[in-house]
Amino acid sequence: MKRILFLIVLLLPFIGLFSSMPAPLVFDEAVANTIVHVFVLAGLNVWLALGTAWWLLFTESRWRPFVEWFLFLPLFVPALASTFGMYVALVRFGLVGTQFGVLTVLLAVTLPYSIRIAYNAMYVIGRPLFEQALFLPPVRRVQFVLVPLLTETVRTIALMSTVVVLGQFVLVQLIGAGLVPTVTTRLYHVYAGNDVSLALQNTWLLVLIPALLYGGIGYLMRIWMKVMKGRLR
Amino acid sequence: MSRVNVVISSLITLLPLTAVLFLLREAVGTDVWSLVQDETWRASLAVTLYVTLVSTFLSLVIGTICARMVYVNGRTWLSFWLNWPLFVPHIASAYLFYLLFSGGFPGFGLIASNERHHLVVILTYVWKEVPFVFLMMLGSYAQLNRGYRDMAKTLQLSPWQQFSVAEWPFLIKPLLDSFWILVAFISFAYEVPALLGVTFPKLLGVLAYDRLTTGLFLNESEAYAVALIWALILFAGVLLSYALTAKRRRRIERGVRR
Repeated sequence: MKRILFLIVLLLPFIGLFSSMPAPLVFDEAVANTIVHVFVLAGLNVWLALGTAWWLLFTESRWRPFVEWFLFLPLFVPALASTFGMYVALVRFGLVGTQFGVLTVLLAVTLPYSIRIAYNAMYVIGRPLFEQALFLPPVRRVQFVLVPLLTETVRTIALMSTVVVLGQFVLVQLIGAGLVPTVTTRLYHVYAGNDVSLALQNTWLLVLIPALLYGGIGYLMRIWMKVMKGRLR
Repeated sequence: MSRVNVVISSLITLLPLTAVLFLLREAVGTDVWSLVQDETWRASLAVTLYVTLVSTFLSLVIGTICARMVYVNGRTWLSFWLNWPLFVPHIASAYLFYLLFSGGFPGFGLIASNERHHLVVILTYVWKEVPFVFLMMLGSYAQLNRGYRDMAKTLQLSPWQQFSVAEWPFLIKPLLDSFWILVAFISFAYEVPALLGVTFPKLLGVLAYDRLTTGLFLNESEAYAVALIWALILFAGVLLSYALTAKRRRRIERGVRR
């Protein structure tokens, strides 16, 4: 009974998704931009976070505590405050209103969270398991040890960075100067209006993109592991 | 390869940190005293503190209880279901809560969207942040030495004493990390309070963004000054809380109990 009550409370907000028929999806510039942002940033976050967390945990360096402190510091700076500052900085370099500017700032906002997730995951898995992998050549190390061990971490990093990217209205509006439309920027204006079916279309898109990415990565990883197990036999 | 990643990550991280310096430059000349005396900013600060502290406290408590239920009581089904809110971006969850509490569904008139107590804003944040805290605490519980709990049980301590002696000391650091991450995130955000809040008093992030963008950026130095001051207050809070708990955390990390 307690479990059912908990699930009702947890899943109740999703009822809103079915409150009205969503408008048919039109593949326009905003959707295309959003998909490009999601894939580029998820890829960059996974690549940078795993390498950085590896260095932080397994490299002997007198700079390590300082670098660790420095990399996690932006977590404690409000994203909107740093967005204001980055806007002022990027205006001077002519990057406001460009895709590159928006992608850079989105990466700056998401990367500390990703490094934190990778760091925690590697810490929990533990040094001995990773150290065994060092005896293997680099490619086989990734194939046989790192990918299977870090599957869930990769999925979580991709999910978290995607959700943060999709939730940024002010950042994209300010740094994109209204010239980089995304589902989120379009959505905010629709939310302020009365067109529920159009708002629901955008909301469905915002929920489905992370879910499909998460499921897709999981499916690819399962295939990968099946192939690798076949090779090991 | 990992060294290249660290260099790139450091350069990317430098961006939000140097952004604070740019805020400082832009905020020069702002009359801070008039900001302090401005009734709108003061009301905004009060409501921001209320929403932030209540949301953060509830998220930390519920998230920790859920993580504890998974590790201590074996309720592993929670791990699956608590992932669901993670798939919803904040702006979309704000709209889902707006639909839920805007009168669209029967029987939900008790709490309403866009009311001055900001209950729906708090509920939205709690719904979104509990899974985040759960993930953070799950990692901590995974590293927890079960021997301490077994020892506390053997000594016939009460359940509360078992928690305070065998678990709480190891949860201080992740809870402190989560607390400041949530405070930084909630206290100066725009999307959720703008959609679910009221026109007066607005939360700090909403008021700052509105002041920045209305009137062709004529009030921009004011918004930059508030963003800078708030970032510095949070930074001071982080430093102070970590300094005050440093000795205890170091002792726990070393595994030495004196």
